[in-house]
Formats: sequence, C-alpha cells, structure tokens
Amino acid sequence: MELFDNLFLGLSTALQFNNLIYCLIGVVIGTAIGVLPGIGPIPTVALLLPFTFGLAPASSLIMLAGIFYGAQYGGSTTAILVNVPGETSSVVTCLDGHEMAKRGRAGPALAIAAISSFFAGTVATVVIAVLSLPLAALALKFTAVEYFSLLVLGLFAAVILAHGSVAKSLAMVFLGLLIGTVGIDVNSGVARMTFGIPALSDGLDFVPVAMGMFGLAEIIANLERPEVRQVVSQKLRDLVPSRADLKAAFPAMVRGTFIGSALGVLPGGGAALPPFTAYALEKKVAKDPSRFGKGAIEGVAGPEAANNAGAQTSFIPLLTLGIPANALMALMIGALMMQGIQPGPQVMTEQPELVWGVIASMWTGNLMLLIINLPLVGLWVSMLKIPYRLLFPAIVLFCCIGTYGISNSAFNVWLMLGCAVVGYFFIKVGVEPAPLLLGLVLGPQLEENFRRAMQLSDGDPSVFVTRPISAVLLGIVALMLIAMLSPAVLKTRKEALAE
Amino acid sequence: MTLRLLKAAAAALTLCGALAPSFAHAQNFERPVRIVVPFAPGGTSDILARLIAPKLSEAVGQPVVVENKPGAAGNIGADAVAKARPDGHTLLLMDIGSLAVAPSLFPDLSYNVENDLAPVGMVMFGPYVLAVNPSVPAKNVSELVAYAKANPGKLAVANSGVGALNHITAVALARDLGIGWKNVPYKGGAAASRAVVSGESNVIINGATATLPFVTNKQLVGIAVTGEERLAALPDVETFKEAKLPLNDAGTWQGLLTTGKTPPEVVARLNGELNKILALPEIQAKIAEQGGSPRPGTPEAVKSWLVTNIKSWGDIVRAADIKTN
Repeated sequence: MELFDNLFLGLSTALQFNNLIYCLIGVVIGTAIGVLPGIGPIPTVALLLPFTFGLAPASSLIMLAGIFYGAQYGGSTTAILVNVPGETSSVVTCLDGHEMAKRGRAGPALAIAAISSFFAGTVATVVIAVLSLPLAALALKFTAVEYFSLLVLGLFAAVILAHGSVAKSLAMVFLGLLIGTVGIDVNSGVARMTFGIPALSDGLDFVPVAMGMFGLAEIIANLERPEVRQVVSQKLRDLVPSRADLKAAFPAMVRGTFIGSALGVLPGGGAALPPFTAYALEKKVAKDPSRFGKGAIEGVAGPEAANNAGAQTSFIPLLTLGIPANALMALMIGALMMQGIQPGPQVMTEQPELVWGVIASMWTGNLMLLIINLPLVGLWVSMLKIPYRLLFPAIVLFCCIGTYGISNSAFNVWLMLGCAVVGYFFIKVGVEPAPLLLGLVLGPQLEENFRRAMQLSDGDPSVFVTRPISAVLLGIVALMLIAMLSPAVLKTRKEALAE
Repeated sequence: MTLRLLKAAAAALTLCGALAPSFAHAQNFERPVRIVVPFAPGGTSDILARLIAPKLSEAVGQPVVVENKPGAAGNIGADAVAKARPDGHTLLLMDIGSLAVAPSLFPDLSYNVENDLAPVGMVMFGPYVLAVNPSVPAKNVSELVAYAKANPGKLAVANSGVGALNHITAVALARDLGIGWKNVPYKGGAAASRAVVSGESNVIINGATATLPFVTNKQLVGIAVTGEERLAALPDVETFKEAKLPLNDAGTWQGLLTTGKTPPEVVARLNGELNKILALPEIQAKIAEQGGSPRPGTPEAVKSWLVTNIKSWGDIVRAADIKTN
C-alpha cells in the first residue's frame, strides 16, 4: 500500500526529536496567540518567517503549520469566556459558547471545544492523507460559476443562522453586503464608497469589524450592568463535560468535521465559511432549534470541529497544487520559497518526506494540543475571576495591538472602535451581528464570481443551471426556499420565536 | 517561549527606535532603519527585503526592520515612505512597475512618484512567462496569435487585478498584435494562476517563479518569456524578442527607494551598500531562486526607468481607458 508507505515516511520525519520540538513550539505559540484576542496567526507567522531561514524545510513548515492550527484551538477560549473571538473563525463559537459560560458552564464549553478540535484535527489528517489528490482535483472543478452557487447557499444559511426576527436578520445580511462593497471593485477597478481614503480601497477588514461588534460591544454592554457574575465552580466535576454533553456533542462534531474538511479545500472560502455553515446545519437538524443562542453544546462542538478540520484541509491545495487557499497559505508559500523550494504540484513527488512529514506532524501536533489544552481549562476558567476593571482594559489593549498588527495600520484600530459603538447600538436595539458579518465576508465574493462568470460566458446566465455542481447547489437552495415558505414550517418557526 | 521573548524584544526595539531622539546627519545611521514592503508578507518584495535587511544592518551598524504595510495596490506603503523624514532611514522595496503606473491609474494619488520618492537602486528583474491552458490549441507564439485572430473574444487572459502590470501587458499585446481577448481580473496572481490551471480562464502572463512549476508539470503550456534570454528551465520556449512581440522587458522590476529630498550623499551611501549586498554570492543564489537576476545600478538609472515608464505605460492605460477611480 502506497498510502502506508507514505504515512510511514511522514511519521519517520514527524517523530524525529527536533521536529517534535518544533511542532511543540508551534502549537504552544499558536495556542497563546489564539487566546490573545485579535493577535492572529498571520502576523505571527509573518514575524517568525525570518527565524525559519536556518531550519530544515520540513521543520520550519511543521512549526508554522502548528501555529496555524494551534491558533484555532486557542481562539475559542476568549470567545467562550468573554465573547471576544480570538480568531475570525471563532466568531460562531461566541454565539453559544459564551452563553454556556454565562450559565456557569464555561468548563464544559472549553473542554468540548478542545475535544471537538482534536477529533476534527485527527480526522482531517486522515482525510488529507487519503483524499488529498481527489480533493485537489475537485477544488480545480470549482470555477466562478460553482463558487457563485456555493455562496448563494452560504448566504441562505445566514438567514437560518439568526435567531429572532427574519426581517431583522435579512436587514443585517443586506447591511453586511452593502459594507462589503466598500473598496476597489475587483472586476472593474472602480473605487466604491472609499471617500478618497486609501485605507478603504481594499475594503473593510473582517477582523476589526468582528472584534468591535462582538467583543468590544459586549464589554460596553457589560459595563452598564452591575458587576454580578456567575460564580464559577472550580470543582473538577463541573469542569468536565458530562456524559450527556458528550452524547449531544458527538454527532455535531462528526458533521462539523465533514463540512470543515470539504469547505477548507476550496480556495477563497476563508476561515469564516466552515464554522458558519456547520452552525447553520446544527440548528437545522436540531429537534429544538430555539436552544441555539442560549448555550446549546452542539453550537460549540459543530463549528469548532469545522474550523479545525477546515484549517487543516486548507493545506491540500498548497501541498498538492502549490496554490494557496487563503492568506496564511500564501505565507507558507513564502516560507517554502525562502527555503528555495518552489511550491507546485511537483513538490509532492520531489519532496515526499516534506509533504508527508507535515501531514503526519498534524496528528502529533493535535495530540499535543489536546494534552496542553485540557489541563488548561481550569486555568482559563479561573481567568473569569479577574475583576472586570482589570480584565476589560487588558482585552481592549490586546484587541488594539492585534488589529494594528494585521497590516500595521492604525486605521484598523479606529475601525474596530467605530464598530464597537455600532455593535453596542445593535445590542440595544436587539439585532444579531452574525448575519452582517457573513454578508460582509461572502458578499464581495458573491459579486466577484457572479460578474466573472458572466464575463466568461458572454452574459449567458444559463451556465448556472447547465453546469452540474452549480445546478445541484442551486437545487438545494430552491428546496430550502420551498421548505421555508411552506405553511407548516412558517408556523413552527413562529412558535419557536414566540418563546 | 524563547520565541515570544524574541517577539517582545523586537517590539521593544522598534519602540525605542521610534522614541529615541535622532539627529541623523550626512551618511551616519543613528537609529533603526525601516524597509517598508507595501504588500503582505511572503511575496517577492517581502522575501528580498528580508534577505537584504540583515546585510544592510551589518553595513550601517543599526537594526534594520522589515515592515509590511499592504493596501491600495502598494500606495499605502509608498505614501508612508514618501511622507517620512528625508534622512534615508525609511526605505521602500517594491515592484517599481506598480509605481510607474500609479500616477495614471490613480489621478488623486496622495504622493508624487517622481518628487516624493528618491530611487536608491534596482534590486532584481524577474521575467514574465506567457502560458496557456493545454485546452488552447497553440504551442508557440505564432499559433497562439493565429488562434486568437481566428477566434476573437474566445481567449480569456487572467490578470492579477485591474491595472496590474500583467493586465497592462496583456492590453498592450492585444493592441500591438491586433487581437481581441478578454481581460479577466482576479484578486492577485495566485488566484489568476489557479483559474488558468483549472481552465476557467485560458491565458496567463505572470512571473516566472509562480508560473514555471505548472509549465514543467504540464498543467500549463509555456508560449514565450520576457527578458534578454530564454529561461534555463524552459530551453524550448522562445523570448518575446525572438517572437517579435513588443514589451520584451515586461516583468517584475524590484527596486529600493527612500523618501524624496534625502541628501544625495545618504542615497549614495545606501546605493553603495545595496550594490555590495547584491554582489554577495549567497544573495545572488537566493535571488536566482526567486526566478530573477540581480540588477545592481545607479539611482539615476532607476530614475530614468521610472520617468520613461510613467509615460509609456501611462499612454497604454489611457488608451485602454483602464481606471481605478
């Protein structure tokens, strides 16, 4: 079996003592930056690139990869404890994770997040080992037409995602789409709503908007309440998830892993799509969707599994095609090029010990992460005992450093602070910012791919239904639309909302 | 943990540099030097800056920090350098082709390319490769031109963005050869490569480093290369010059600049150090890995390159009515 030969080759690289150490360094740094709100893997990897110069190619890539998936573990910590998404991908974890923490169940939420991440990481490693070649071929089948249909499906999920009034969530999606148009339009090069400010020409960055609207707005809202806090139990029994928790979370983990693995492979999906989609699915299959947004454990397990699986499978296009799926993978290409390795399809055959070594290291790395993270749960939970007057300024400070670090720009800091005010307003009028964020992320891609598809087909819209993948995706949208509009569903939705 | 300490140390150093009062005079460097790269980390400009930084640091006896300031097609980083103190402590490393088209693309540019930036020297030239998806029935320039003429509007040329140099090159080629092809903009060169490998678009003009692996792996067919000579990796692919195509010097021209009105003796010192660094065998080897060749030269040479190309590419931009505003 070639697969076993490859995995054996990979393990022999990954289990070398120095590579284990670099893997450990990577995942520890990753966890740390994941926990610090706003300080993401991209600036960290950029900062560490020069230090990898002297390392062997496999060691440097193993360490940098560890930072990336390690950050997905850590990112959920602040999301759950203080509603500040540590990473873009943990926005969704805020929704139910923080609710669980508010109800004194921070320990189980953190543990489930770590276990889901480990499960997804392990499965995704197998997926990469077994399926990377066919998946890479599938990713190449996705042209502008298929992307457009996939994004339509994603936006539909946004409406399902919101709890509360459909009108409000639609309004937020449209607001998100609208502010997504800010910047220079990819297809025509026309600057829209930039007011001549160069910092706006690339559009609004997702991270400051998300941190402002979720984290800082929540802090402002907390300030006006008197400081009563859920007494967090420190007994170990209350920190570990119960058997019932695990039973509820397990199917969600499996579904989340599946979604994350599939969406992670597609270039351009970004870190936001897998967890959002997983959350929408969990809500859809749940017997009682009204529990979501009020501390449903599936709402933590599904998205956490999805973002970890996605983080790892996003290596597939890089390792097999030399094509980066996201900004961080582009950095990895930079890391390879610094080593004198030109990323491309030939790397897999010319440097098998590098490719398989990195793949095998993901498994050792995930194991290390679980061992590091589970005992830390108690420590993180005790963080909640820090008085607000110390905790809040620290969070605001880290958020400012983090947003500045994205592109060394003070503009992003102001943007985040502005979004905090807007987010506070949203809390006051009772609308959810999550659909807005999804609109902001998906809107520009939706437009870009639609117009590119039109340009390539000479303005013939029938391509969307004549190409098979696209037709299937749009078919699912149509079914969802019919189901949503059918009287029976409308009625149950109303009942669910009436609670 | 040591790495986090390093991070903290690096941050502290930068901070000290910003706070320390400085009375830099003449050629002495008395506080840390910044090399601004106006793009995200990991690209060619970034890698070159990180190669040069430690060597320059040894030469001037000050820390040299690489700072990525991406955004607005490089204009945010260039603007920061244009408005820095004119003492040669703030440098800009970028594809100066983007600088040459900026005045034509952005009529309300916040800085003047010719006056607010002072060239230090050219760093490297990297040729373009013109390649097609294997579904296009063409193996060389004459077959491609014949196919394009017989099937107007059928070929779609992927570029890295409206107003990017490979966009302008494609427009100019179409103009000079009398062919009609669609110009399809993507978000960056990597997305454009992916689209041509997948067959969504079918022609690409892009840097050799990014394109070569796909050509050697037969996912793309190499048609022609820019530059004076054929590429060692593609001995059978003719140059633009051999194929009598225009724009044989199109490609990526990476240059080092500093703030305008920097005293000439400071610029001369920097130019001297840069050319010494470019002569080091290890640096030459690293530049070759980036698919280019070192181009040591004088500040004046960069200046005249800029003046010439601001005009010639500006004419193409205006004739094709490419706008980013």
